[in-house]
Amino acid sequence: MDNKSQHDKTIDRREFFRKSAAASVAALAGTSVLSSDAMADDPAIMHHVPWGQTWGDPVTKNRYGKPSKYEHNVTRRNTKLLASGNFRASIAVTPIQESMGIITPNGLFFSRSHGGVAHVDPSMYRLMIHGLVEKPIVLTLEQLKKYPSVTRTHFIECPANGGQEWRGPQFNSLQFAKGFMSCAEWTGVYVKTILADLGLKPEAQWMLTEGSDNSEMGRTVPIDKVLDDAMIVWGQNGEALRPEQGYPVRLLLPGWEGNLCVKWLKRLEFSNEPWYAKEETSKYTALKPTGKAIQHFYANEVNSTVTSPSPEIPWTNLNDGDIVEIEGLAWSGMGTITGVDLSFDGGNSYVEAKLKGLVLPKSWTRWSYMHTYKKGEKLLLTSRAMDDAGYIQPTIDQEVSVMGVESVYHRNAVETWEVTETGKVNHVQMRTPGGVKNA
Amino acid sequence: MLKLNTKFISTASIAAAVAVLTVGCMQNNAEPTGTSTVNGKPTIDGGVIYPVANDKTGPYYVNPQVAADASKIYNGRVPTANEIKVWDKDIQAGGIGLPEGSGSVEDGEEIYEAKCVMCHGDFGSGGGGYPALSKGNAYELQKTLTNNRWHDPEADGPVRVFGSYWPQLSTLWWYIKDGMPHPKSKTLTDDQVYALTAYILNINEIEINGEEIDDEFVLNRENFSKIVMPNVNGFVPKIDGPKGLDNVRTFYANPKNFGAIKVKADERCMKDCQEKTVVVTRIQGAGISNFLPPMSDVRDLPKEDNKAEVKVNVKEVYNNTCAMCHSSYLSPGSADWKPYLSEGMETVYKKAIHGTEGGMPAKGGADLSDANFKLVVDYIVHGK
Repeated sequence: MDNKSQHDKTIDRREFFRKSAAASVAALAGTSVLSSDAMADDPAIMHHVPWGQTWGDPVTKNRYGKPSKYEHNVTRRNTKLLASGNFRASIAVTPIQESMGIITPNGLFFSRSHGGVAHVDPSMYRLMIHGLVEKPIVLTLEQLKKYPSVTRTHFIECPANGGQEWRGPQFNSLQFAKGFMSCAEWTGVYVKTILADLGLKPEAQWMLTEGSDNSEMGRTVPIDKVLDDAMIVWGQNGEALRPEQGYPVRLLLPGWEGNLCVKWLKRLEFSNEPWYAKEETSKYTALKPTGKAIQHFYANEVNSTVTSPSPEIPWTNLNDGDIVEIEGLAWSGMGTITGVDLSFDGGNSYVEAKLKGLVLPKSWTRWSYMHTYKKGEKLLLTSRAMDDAGYIQPTIDQEVSVMGVESVYHRNAVETWEVTETGKVNHVQMRTPGGVKNA
Repeated sequence: MLKLNTKFISTASIAAAVAVLTVGCMQNNAEPTGTSTVNGKPTIDGGVIYPVANDKTGPYYVNPQVAADASKIYNGRVPTANEIKVWDKDIQAGGIGLPEGSGSVEDGEEIYEAKCVMCHGDFGSGGGGYPALSKGNAYELQKTLTNNRWHDPEADGPVRVFGSYWPQLSTLWWYIKDGMPHPKSKTLTDDQVYALTAYILNINEIEINGEEIDDEFVLNRENFSKIVMPNVNGFVPKIDGPKGLDNVRTFYANPKNFGAIKVKADERCMKDCQEKTVVVTRIQGAGISNFLPPMSDVRDLPKEDNKAEVKVNVKEVYNNTCAMCHSSYLSPGSADWKPYLSEGMETVYKKAIHGTEGGMPAKGGADLSDANFKLVVDYIVHGK
């Protein structure tokens, strides 16, 4: 049978929706499989589509490809709550509700800066490494990239991910509740590879890492990390770093606070004493109820979230008996994810979810659980991850009993989505009102 | 359509089976597992590391030739002494690295009024989107750090400003020198930075040698190290001195120190895990939903964004771009504008479009044509 021509379309479409509506009613009433005659023909199948009967773009268009224009709502987003410094000391967060797999496309990778996104001329780029080394060095970009490279998949997470919700949920949104992070495949060189020839002096205990941007972003890194897996990276998902991620070069400390992974990297200095940079005292320190704050809080602890369903993409279109995948992400800056549990009752009881795909150290890890949806069911979906360092996500009460509610940073307690009887999804928290004081 | 070649498939299956057997025998290729100690000491962050073993770190292969050759690769050049000097500008605790110079509280106030007040507010009280530099007497406010809004979200929280929270004065000097004024950083002289630091100490009522820093005070490299911040002992773990790294390792070896939980996988709770006191806590009111752009998962065609046709919405530009600084001072239609207007509107436009010494960024950072930005300026100056 041939496709019909355009002028039959309207009538067909009316017919289609009339019959489809009837079919839905029948389905609700519990009628068994519909006979194919009761179904209207789908005009999306019955007619030629506009893009099927005309030339598409020449291959000479879009020398650097862009997403389909229909995907325009899949973007980083901001909120005025986090608008400081005229959006120059601010953050744009990743739409993880739309993320697939474990890689964030470069254009959606979350973007945080302290003095705006710098645009560095690669011909003017210099990296200086000095201090307690026998032989300091200055490198051009070309010279840096001549070092033998390594490629690793790691997430980067702002330690304030979820940090607006210590005292209770605020964002009815996965993007804002958990989107202060992204995951990419990074290419660069181990710092230890460069140091091998510079001769680190034995008294060197700390490394200052400094950016060349407007804020001259600085942080102190302990030598343990420098000699383990610290990298100087220039590649992100197979291309040069984006300006938002520090083009042409950033530091990457796998699993550690995003702000330690200094962008637009300019200088590394070794010393026997730590520095006290602004972003490791004024901010990125976690105030406990004792009045003492944790400084040098490096690793993002084991964490997870349900990504499907989410407040953004709910279950309002499901029918009774639909078999649906509950999907999520788990990650740990302290090691590799070993398992994820899923609760349907807000964390009172758990079943084991399944890990899927690649399970890599300090990387996003996908997990999955198949669920048969009952129309009208009310659920409290809570995920809980574990890692090979032996950590498990705490409950909100457990974490708050030690950290209080003023810490801002490093909140990794389990989080809950409420699925209402209409399939709408809301961000809620399971906690004891007022908190459980020091357990 | 692809036709299956059965002969090929069976051959491939055998090859695969052989491969599995082979891999099973090759113990050397097993992924090295993580370890939470290094040379007998706990890891620095409480996590595991994956030592290189059998040419692998975790799941990743590494090229063993690199470690062998690395000590012979020197791709750059040795920096000159002058090059190191101009880049090595950091200041460490106690003022190590400070240049010669000095600045008074009085001068600091003058510079502050000219370059800082539009964002940080009168006497450092803070403004839209920029942090407060003082909230009063630092020693009193330091005591608020034990405030915790567990029970009452309306209660007073801890006050974390420079005076009450920061452990080291060196941080302030260093950050002003490198990062301020925010829209035009690295434009202050050393003396100006000393003066601003002195002024900020003054408005926080910080003491030196037991006496409050008054309007007459002059800060210099020598008296800098005598100033002890009220919250100098407010941070854990202790990172200074030869024990610094060990302190950090010990701190993170105990999950209780940072609110973490360790459990053996087969001992984790799977049933009846929750205390009876736990309830569903919902977002209060509407929560935060003023997202830019608004949340949507619709797959449709974007609205044509023809900028030439779009008339600029001055109020929206003001709210998104200008209000952070221009709400408390030089606000729309404010009398503060009088002295500026006496210079003529063209001068005001010029300053607004190109930015000013005082910290106004070019066009306030807005991505608008000159003509459109002038409409925004008109709004801020005249309030309509």
